Amino acid sequence: MKHIKEMSLGELAAYVCTHLEKNGIHCVLTGGACVSIYTENRYESFDLDFVENVTSKRKHIIKVLSKIGFKEYNKYFKHDDTKYFIDFPAGPLAIGREPVRKPDVINFETGKLVLLSPTDSVKDRLAAYYHWNDKQCLDQAVLITETNNVDIDEIKRWSEREGKLSEFDSIKEKLLHKNKHL
Amino acid sequence: MLEPLLGSINRERVLLFLYSRDQGYAREIARFYKTDLSQIQKQLERLELGNIIYSKTLGKTRVYSLNPRYPFLEELQSLLEKVLSFYPPEEREKLTLSRKRPRRKGKPL
Repeated sequence: MKHIKEMSLGELAAYVCTHLEKNGIHCVLTGGACVSIYTENRYESFDLDFVENVTSKRKHIIKVLSKIGFKEYNKYFKHDDTKYFIDFPAGPLAIGREPVRKPDVINFETGKLVLLSPTDSVKDRLAAYYHWNDKQCLDQAVLITETNNVDIDEIKRWSEREGKLSEFDSIKEKLLHKNKHL
Repeated sequence: MLEPLLGSINRERVLLFLYSRDQGYAREIARFYKTDLSQIQKQLERLELGNIIYSKTLGKTRVYSLNPRYPFLEELQSLLEKVLSFYPPEEREKLTLSRKRPRRKGKPL
């Protein structure tokens, strides 16, 4: 097994996710870390945002993560041997108004990582673009579509449910243009 | 009205203020309710940690709003709307009355 300081973001996320799972903490990786993994680090993130549907007691999380050397620091968890840090944003696991139905699983040599699917990751980034006008997140969504299979119809359905159909229509070409190279 | 549910009168105040006015900052909310600033700041911090509200900085001021990405936003808004409907009209008006249209600097009111 690799040492933590040699792990990539994905490997570390898988290692942490597996360790949490073994200790009864069931969570899913979300946010920018998923973009990093799906874009092979073309977008670099340093925070591992794990979301639980049923929130564990903070004391339990602190105890479990301390076993692998992560210490709580200002509401985050840091490790001396890695630049990546762990956060537990408040649940539930949702993208906009909808719960996440089926996360993906990727196996790394360090463990099993449960994370948002590429399609849900695009929706997650678009939620930030639609609701917070975060243009960087739109770029990240487009980056994901360049190298992953995403379900554009599903993204359209979800955008409509968010009340953002016209916004979707205005960016659809960007997403499709990238997607057709697959 | 929601104190038994939310566990804090100031949390209710913060939510009602942000719902009624779309946005607000700690000192403004504390001033409006004539309450302790630190108590309002504490509730803003907790609500933000829960992803129920979000903030951005405008100049030196941290401005808060209800988080449009909060999965239960519609339901929360319905609840707050109902709470507002129980307020006496003059109280409700005070809370909702804030000029949002642009107005050129220096133009008399």
